[in-house]
Amino acid sequence: MKIQFTEAQLALRDELRGYFRELMTPELRAECERDMGEGGGLLWRAALARMGRDGWIGLGWPKEYGGRDMSPMEQFIFVEEVMRAGYPFPFLTTESVGPTLAEHGNEWMREEIVPKILRGELLVSIGYSEPGAGTDLAAVRTSAVRDGDDWVINGQKMWTSLAHFCDYTWLAARTDPDAPKKHKGISMFLVPNSDPGWSCTPVHTLGGVRTNATFYDNIRVSDAHRVGELHGGWKLITSQLNRERLSLINFGPISELFNQVVHWARGAVYDEASTVAEQPWVQANLARSRALIECMKLIVYKQSWAMTEGTLGMADASAAKVFGSEGFIEVYRLLGEIVADSGLLRSHSAGAQEQAARIERLYRTASIITFGGGANEIQRDIISAAGLWMPRASR
Amino acid sequence: MDFGFSDIQDELRGLARKILDDAVSASTLLAYDEYAEPRFDRALWRTLLDAGLPGIAVAEEHGGMGLGFMELGLFIEELGRSIAPVPVLAHCVSGMLPLQQFASADIQARLLPPAARGELLLSGAFWTGSVGGAVEPVQALPAEGGFILNGSCRGIPFARQADWLLLPVHSANGVAVVLVATDAAGVQMTDLQMTHFEPYAQIELSDVRVAAADVVMASGGEALVAWTREHCTAALCAQQLGAADRAMRMAASYTSERKQFGVPIATFQAVGHRMADCYIDVECLRLCTWQALSLLSEARAATTEVQIAKIWAGDVGHRVSYACQHVHGGTGIDRDYPLWRYCLWLRFNEVTLGSSSAQTAALGQRLSQGEGLFT
Repeated sequence: MKIQFTEAQLALRDELRGYFRELMTPELRAECERDMGEGGGLLWRAALARMGRDGWIGLGWPKEYGGRDMSPMEQFIFVEEVMRAGYPFPFLTTESVGPTLAEHGNEWMREEIVPKILRGELLVSIGYSEPGAGTDLAAVRTSAVRDGDDWVINGQKMWTSLAHFCDYTWLAARTDPDAPKKHKGISMFLVPNSDPGWSCTPVHTLGGVRTNATFYDNIRVSDAHRVGELHGGWKLITSQLNRERLSLINFGPISELFNQVVHWARGAVYDEASTVAEQPWVQANLARSRALIECMKLIVYKQSWAMTEGTLGMADASAAKVFGSEGFIEVYRLLGEIVADSGLLRSHSAGAQEQAARIERLYRTASIITFGGGANEIQRDIISAAGLWMPRASR
Repeated sequence: MDFGFSDIQDELRGLARKILDDAVSASTLLAYDEYAEPRFDRALWRTLLDAGLPGIAVAEEHGGMGLGFMELGLFIEELGRSIAPVPVLAHCVSGMLPLQQFASADIQARLLPPAARGELLLSGAFWTGSVGGAVEPVQALPAEGGFILNGSCRGIPFARQADWLLLPVHSANGVAVVLVATDAAGVQMTDLQMTHFEPYAQIELSDVRVAAADVVMASGGEALVAWTREHCTAALCAQQLGAADRAMRMAASYTSERKQFGVPIATFQAVGHRMADCYIDVECLRLCTWQALSLLSEARAATTEVQIAKIWAGDVGHRVSYACQHVHGGTGIDRDYPLWRYCLWLRFNEVTLGSSSAQTAALGQRLSQGEGLFT
């Protein structure tokens, strides 16, 4: 038990901070701001490829994939720092789909797709939800039908975020319409977004972020595009979601935002006699935020350690997701109270201040995290069953 | 970054749990309810001493195991899990540890070996007040290289059972820290009745003489007080962690057995979710507490981390206590069922040495001065 970074890990963190200070040019920052913190622009692409070339994306990956063979903890430090630097890192591709492909994929996926992901040259969007399948994900109706050696895919997916600039979709499709239990008849596919039968329409959200509805019209793929066992997709979905849940709770950006708000509050005038930071209620909000973010940090550190040890449990992954998502929302609110009406100005407004405008946007985008990646109600079900061995109601 | 237990830590936890499971149960604790007897199981204390556990963090040269505060904290977590009636916090955390850290070699050689063997019982006046609480109003006038003490202390755990008390006192040169024998002339004790039945007494001191040899620090005692209270606070968090975890698991088991409408009440989502929230809360307390113990064990600055741990200890203790009582229904408050004593301890640990609100205010003030930011 030693809850501190090693000297080598601290040195890695400093190296990464230096690296990103140089990488994050004002032009790249402006492009990311334009793209609502989602990425996808030309400079963003170039920066991702550079990170890949410089060996950062695959830091914690085995050498056979082009990685550097360090542990998940080092990988986690990299992701934390890239996010802290304000770069919209495509962690769903690199931290959740990538590892699942490496574990369950075929030769083509392991030898071509995964190394390209680690080089920052290939992006994957996630196709699970459908108009009729959200929390009850096993209700997917998108179908893959065997035709000779190929599969023919038809259906519609919802909330396919980033799909408009991704190369593939990690797609859940029904391969056995007659399976006795509906989650037993699903298989996973890697579908090229460049296929003529693939299309997407944007969905604009409260947070300003674009997501997509995607359509799959008689897309024909070879069996090599199928991942893992036939009808065995559910296991891959839960494995990917466990990794996604961990990646969602990255505390780098919020700890940076916290520090910035403290600095701002110490210099900002509250009334003739005092600064914002001198108000007791501001101090209370800061302390409550600090205590919440500290726990987010420890929860993700512990999980990175558990991944290193191969002991990441379902209950803890779900606990991280629930605590992190609800914690983010609480912290955005507490810090938003401190910046007060400055936090109601959008970033392009006259008079907008950088941190306050970021809080304005984050507060709008935060609602997605309590239901995205698996609704928190489902996570709580998992926690009481897997963490406390309590019986579950049949659904 | 290592969240796993070392072999030694595993062994110590297992040993402590086995001893405590064998010796502490609802029926043995019954003897102390309502102060029927002083809450001190001397047979259990002897067993723990023979196993060396109270001396975990005492140097080998003084008869201890020579391990760190991390290991002592893990032992205290087990004590919290069983709410064992033994004076580990008083004797080890507010007695032996500050002596080992601050006292002269002479005092250490004289007191630590018998204290580690349990021939002497120590306690200290560090457990009252809020965050960074004030030193009790005891005035010390210099006399023959020592002091003469007059004043009072509001509450010291196991004072009546202890042989020596470690007292911070006010002198002309600031804070001094002295050892007072509990049988010294002029020491008067009045028993307190605490919410959780722990033996506590308030102390009156009238012209109590302290010999030069019993002065731990003639001046500059503020450092000892701050250091000791920080360790006491972290120890309370560890005790809270054990107690909260046990109460939560009791509630999880109970709701899995208890049937209403023909099904276990655990299958109602409202019940399951309340327990899931306890699980998350306890995990947060666990991680913050372990971090604080780990930093203190390495003698690293830990003020921010201890304050955060105590914020969680207060909030989690309160929420878990009431959630567990609630899902138990009437059973939870029935004194024939073991939960109720845990609720008392969760309350004690919540309030002692600064509630969540007090710790939040203290941390907020430091943050507003630019301290405690993320690195």
